[in-house]
Amino acid sequence: MSTSSALRDLQRDLENKANDLSKLQKDIAKNHQVRKKYTIQLGENELVLKELDLLNEDANVYKLIGPVLVKQDLAEANANVRKRIDYISAELKRLDATLQDLEEKQNSKRDMILKLQQRIQSLQAGKAKA
Amino acid sequence: MEEGANGTVTPLASMFPADEAQKAAGRVQDAIAEKRRELDRVRGFAADNAALVNLVQKLPEELHHDVMVPFGKAAFFPGRLIHTNEFTVLLGEGYYAERTSKQTVEILRRRGKALETHVDSLKSIIEDLKTEASFFDKTASEAAEGLVEIREELSGEESDEGSSELGQKEDGPSISVEDKGKILNEDEEYDRLMSKLDELEKEELAAEAADNIEEETNEVDPDVVSDQSSFHQNLKDLEGSHSCMPPSHSERQASNEEFLRQTRQQPALVEKLNPGDFTIASSQKDKTSHGNDLLWNLKGPDIADKSPKLPALEENDHAGSSNNEVPIQPPKPKVDSLRAFTGSIIEHSPNLPINPREPSATSSKVPGSQSSKPLSRFRMQRK
Repeated sequence: MSTSSALRDLQRDLENKANDLSKLQKDIAKNHQVRKKYTIQLGENELVLKELDLLNEDANVYKLIGPVLVKQDLAEANANVRKRIDYISAELKRLDATLQDLEEKQNSKRDMILKLQQRIQSLQAGKAKA
Repeated sequence: MEEGANGTVTPLASMFPADEAQKAAGRVQDAIAEKRRELDRVRGFAADNAALVNLVQKLPEELHHDVMVPFGKAAFFPGRLIHTNEFTVLLGEGYYAERTSKQTVEILRRRGKALETHVDSLKSIIEDLKTEASFFDKTASEAAEGLVEIREELSGEESDEGSSELGQKEDGPSISVEDKGKILNEDEEYDRLMSKLDELEKEELAAEAADNIEEETNEVDPDVVSDQSSFHQNLKDLEGSHSCMPPSHSERQASNEEFLRQTRQQPALVEKLNPGDFTIASSQKDKTSHGNDLLWNLKGPDIADKSPKLPALEENDHAGSSNNEVPIQPPKPKVDSLRAFTGSIIEHSPNLPINPREPSATSSKVPGSQSSKPLSRFRMQRK
């Protein structure tokens, strides 16, 4: 009787862990998506910066804000793009760190689940014998 | 997994189930398809870019263009494009810059270059994925075939790690077993071929040794011991007495003499008779026939009659008597002995088991139209 209740506990535990694991995996997938988006933006911003660097001092630069093109100073635009690049790089770094963290968690969860499964199996085997 | 005395035998299927491997291969195929789509998309961008460069270059050629101006989603009205050398270029991230046509083209060219590098990287990614897919396919088929992995530990202790390398290692034995079979087969065929060649050479040598002693000593490959020994054997025989020649030989001599009387300018005739001859064969022929010519001049036709050319002559003319042994045998000795003398086959012989294609390629090259029948038999055996 005690073995069966222990088994039930273990199974509930396993279920919880599995849920956690799937949640973690979802997070990781989300992280990947965000990362991809930021990488693309970073590439675009670098391209813009390159072009802005190639422009003459007196070139007219506009920024599209909503439906209108707003004239901007070249130096200002340049600074804005640089700031944006810095921001995106920092964001990417942060995402990397969280990703690593999540993966570590995922691995440890997986190990725990494996151990739980083994224990359940051994318990079931013992029950079948008894 | 069965425990052996000092090793383990693991069916490959237990580690990599065939359907799993196939699933993996399918996933990789999906990835390839996705990358292909992306590649197509990027290529489309590149094409658009090129077209845009063209347009931007052309626009400032006129002061104004008559165009249809899109108005809303469905309507157009006629308009006129002015300021044809002023462009507002989207740089990305909502930034626009006013540029001239020339400057715009420069920007577009830079973008085109970026697209090209993108295309290249996609191509290499697809190549990588392809090799991966083929690897999975191979693993799947091997697992399905019931291939087993045999491992014997050097230290005697069993370690479970390294199972991931097994897939790669697995290729080795499976291929080598096939190769071994092939090589064995090749060896057999090669032995058969060589023994046949030796036989034919002996015959030929017996025929020729009497006349072309000097020539042969020059031409026989010194590396080939069997050839040399047979050659010496023949030499001794011939030195002892000329009557020791094989009966078939004397018969051939008779028929050949007839021939010679008819055709004195034998080498030239041979050349004429075999217009489709390969250059290798003909050049070799030239060499030997030159020697024969010389010998003719020195010793007369009754000696030169055993030159290697005559059989070919007979075959091409169909003049040789049908009950004579000669027409059946000689075509082979002729070509084969020539090759043996120049060492073209014997040089390759050590490579044969390792690189079986090579000699077959040469043998298929050397025989011309004149001796296609006997050699095609060899080739059939080889394949």
